[in-house]
Amino acid sequence: MPDNRLTQTEASLNPAVTQMVNIKIDGIELQVPKGENIIESAKRAGVDIPYFCYHPRLSKGDAANCRMCLVDVFAPRRAPDGTVSLAKMPKPQASCTLPADEGMVIVTDSEAVVRDRKGVLEFLLINHPLDCPICDRGGECPLQNNAIFYGAATSRYTEEKRHFPKAYPLAENVVFDRERCIHCARCTRFTEDISGDAQLGFLKRGADMEVGTFEHTAYKSKFSGNVIELCPVGALLSRSYRFKARPWDLHSQRSVCSKCSNGCNIKIDYRLDSLQRINGRINEAVNEEWTCDKGKFGHSYVSSEARLKTPMLKTGGEWKAIDWTEALQILVGKLRDANGSVAGIGGQRCTNEDNFAFQKLFREVLKSNDIDSRVEGYLGSVNKPLYERFGYHAMGNAIAELEDMKTILVLGSQLVDEQPIIYLRVRKAYRFKGATVINAVSSVPEDSPKVGDFAQLELVYKPGTEAALLKGILSVLSAEKLASVNGFAKGYTLEKAAEETGVSAEAIQQAARLMATGKLAIIAGREVANHANHLEVVQAIGDLAEATGNAQNINLPGEDVNSQGAADMGVLPDFAPGYAPLENPGKNTAQILQAAADGSLKVLWVAGAKLLEKFPNRELAQAAFASDTFIVVNELTMTETAQAADLVLPAASFAEKEGTFTNCERRVQRIHKAFDISLEIKPDWLIFSEVATRMGGGGGSFFSARDILKAISAQVPAYAGLTAKSLGDEGVRWNYPDK
Amino acid sequence: MGFLRTLQNTADGAKALTTGARITMRHYMGQLLKTEPLQTVQYPEERREQFPRTRWRHVLTRYENGLEKCIGCSLCAGACPARCIYVEAAENTDEDRYSPGERYAVKYEINMLRCIFCGFCQDACPTGAIVLRKDFELADFTRKDFLYTKEMLLEGASVIPLTAVGTHKEAVK
Ligand code: SF4
Ligand code: SF4
Ligand code: SF4
Ligand code: SF4
Ligand code: FES
Repeated sequence: MPDNRLTQTEASLNPAVTQMVNIKIDGIELQVPKGENIIESAKRAGVDIPYFCYHPRLSKGDAANCRMCLVDVFAPRRAPDGTVSLAKMPKPQASCTLPADEGMVIVTDSEAVVRDRKGVLEFLLINHPLDCPICDRGGECPLQNNAIFYGAATSRYTEEKRHFPKAYPLAENVVFDRERCIHCARCTRFTEDISGDAQLGFLKRGADMEVGTFEHTAYKSKFSGNVIELCPVGALLSRSYRFKARPWDLHSQRSVCSKCSNGCNIKIDYRLDSLQRINGRINEAVNEEWTCDKGKFGHSYVSSEARLKTPMLKTGGEWKAIDWTEALQILVGKLRDANGSVAGIGGQRCTNEDNFAFQKLFREVLKSNDIDSRVEGYLGSVNKPLYERFGYHAMGNAIAELEDMKTILVLGSQLVDEQPIIYLRVRKAYRFKGATVINAVSSVPEDSPKVGDFAQLELVYKPGTEAALLKGILSVLSAEKLASVNGFAKGYTLEKAAEETGVSAEAIQQAARLMATGKLAIIAGREVANHANHLEVVQAIGDLAEATGNAQNINLPGEDVNSQGAADMGVLPDFAPGYAPLENPGKNTAQILQAAADGSLKVLWVAGAKLLEKFPNRELAQAAFASDTFIVVNELTMTETAQAADLVLPAASFAEKEGTFTNCERRVQRIHKAFDISLEIKPDWLIFSEVATRMGGGGGSFFSARDILKAISAQVPAYAGLTAKSLGDEGVRWNYPDK
Repeated sequence: MGFLRTLQNTADGAKALTTGARITMRHYMGQLLKTEPLQTVQYPEERREQFPRTRWRHVLTRYENGLEKCIGCSLCAGACPARCIYVEAAENTDEDRYSPGERYAVKYEINMLRCIFCGFCQDACPTGAIVLRKDFELADFTRKDFLYTKEMLLEGASVIPLTAVGTHKEAVK
């Protein structure tokens, strides 16, 4: 496997350098780490140096090619007699690759630099079409800005410019205007350094140079959307946002992506009441500044025509739009008649506030513990797999901590699809921090970027044999005395593991040796989460982690945007908010559906769970929906599950409400309301709270999402002290009290 | 003394009145006898010539070949201090072409109640599409009627653009 690790260490990307040097920029004296790029030192000093190709998260590689960042440099020179004098470097230097050194003096505003910048811009604009009025980047374009601040007013170039057809379809979501490209290599470096698929590169040379894929095949990446934001001109454009709006037409709201549990920080850019695009927002602890394509392009559902705008009632097989008064009347009537024979499923797409109100309504008003937020995978007690042994439920590590690992084992996961941002961190650990990655998986998708592309070792095992593989590794650790295995691998031999898993004995040995070398993180995915013997596999993972001294580095991240928060808020049959055990636990999802199918359940309330689409035992789910149970569903659109219900209530999407999500690493992050699509659409918590009020209140009535957050921080120890204010823009990661 | 002052004030008032009346009468008689030119305009039967740079109702203009000048760039909307322009753009295709180049305005609306006729939109327009012309009779009865749509603003084409089909034809008056 070719090694794509960066060979040269870059101070900016590897801030291990601690020696400080004294430099002077435009007369400002400052101390910076030795080797830091001058452009970054200038940022510290508040001196503006224009740039195009420089990006703090990308390697310099074949870049430093735009020459926009030129500065004059004076370096100390020692004469033969020992005297030190400052000597000017004969030519201006590119500050984005110029390492800081003791005594350097930088001038960013000399006459020569000003003239050079004008010249660079004139060159860049020779072949640039300057069709700003129809360019999506116009108004937020670094080339426009630099041309206005540092460029000349006119050009001496009167010849014909380079021409290419507009809007070349580069990828499913990205179109490419080749005329506008200034060859900064940000996009190509992104695919190499960050997303790891290395699909974009430069073709041809000189003025003909263009960005492209090998042999013009389609650019297939799970992170292609980021190059749109990286491109300093309007060359790479979003297919869905193209011509939709100009930046000054848009309003922007801070939010968190609703597509997976990684919880990328995003900006929702909208116009009137319609979502136009999603851009990444910086959060160093979570997504740095990236998003995946699911998040960037997958939110068109928010403003889609298909959104429900009134409650819908099914009578005699026909759907009828009704108003809220009637809907609530019917619902409250049914709940009263049910007399406690009610159950609730869902909440993984809902905010913490929604979930808290949901469980309050069920436990305190409807007097039922039959609620669950899990639809797939393991449905037993959440404390069993990890908590009782190691003191945490899902992720032992913070996402950013993965960077510091020596070895990372990705087990049973198509990580790039399931946990895109964790994938990017693993890739970063590998590329910039020297981590070794081992990928163990039961099937390798053909033509998609994946962990296997950069893993040192790939173990492809027979489906379902994770535990055998892990035990095999443990037996090697024990046999080679690499770790004290405490009899975990009893009765297991390398040969047996190799035979059961179909992985070669050498590969298992190699894996074991790699794992015994230091800090090891284990990231388990869908194959483990949905394993028929989930507990056994997690047990084996725990054994391996414990044997290698990494008991706190096990990660079983959830997949839905708030699967973590729903569990924290006690939408579980056996735990109140904060994992406080209940005296008389209720039914879990499977048992609830069974009860409905048997006809012993009167009302089932589904809060946005896609039961018919996702529940593994489809027959049972269908039987439950076909029974006499009155099923009410909170949904955004008429999904398959909603179609099969009796009453559907239009719920607000994440863009239309306030609240908090808790991501897979337990970071509680705020979302903000951007717009209303219709005043008939309500956030889930309000629906639960209105029903609670009509049923006689109790603890279930709330006035606002903030109100609920207050109640949460009063009741849930881990959330104590969390307020809308203390969460700020970056959220707060809660920790187990005893850790 | 009070009596004398009152008398004095009355006399001053009468003098001012007669001075004014005298000027009015002079012009009245002059115009009646046609010894001096008529000052008033008999609007609406008669209209005065507008100054060349008068800024009133907007028009979205066309090129000589009938294509729309507007490229839907929203620069006018960005420049407008009253925020009363709304532009939505879409892509031209060779079969369905409204303007030269890639982009045209599918929706173009000006809220005339908010417009202050500053002409910044005309200034900002890179193609000279939006211009303020001399039609000043903009009174109407309902607020909604002040929302001028693209169809209302677009000037009639003297030539039907060769490539124009579909909805575009309807816009051509
Ligand atoms: S497409 Fe954009 S990011 Fe890529 S090289 Fe060209 S200008 Fe740079
Ligand atoms: S990684 Fe997850 S949270 Fe981030 S953009 Fe993609 S779907 Fe959204
Ligand atoms: S004339 Fe001024 S106020 Fe009226 S639409 Fe144009 S820019 Fe706006
Ligand atoms: S009228 Fe002019 S400024 Fe306004 S959108 Fe059309 S082309 Fe752009
Ligand atoms: S930013 Fe330094 S050469 Fe491009």
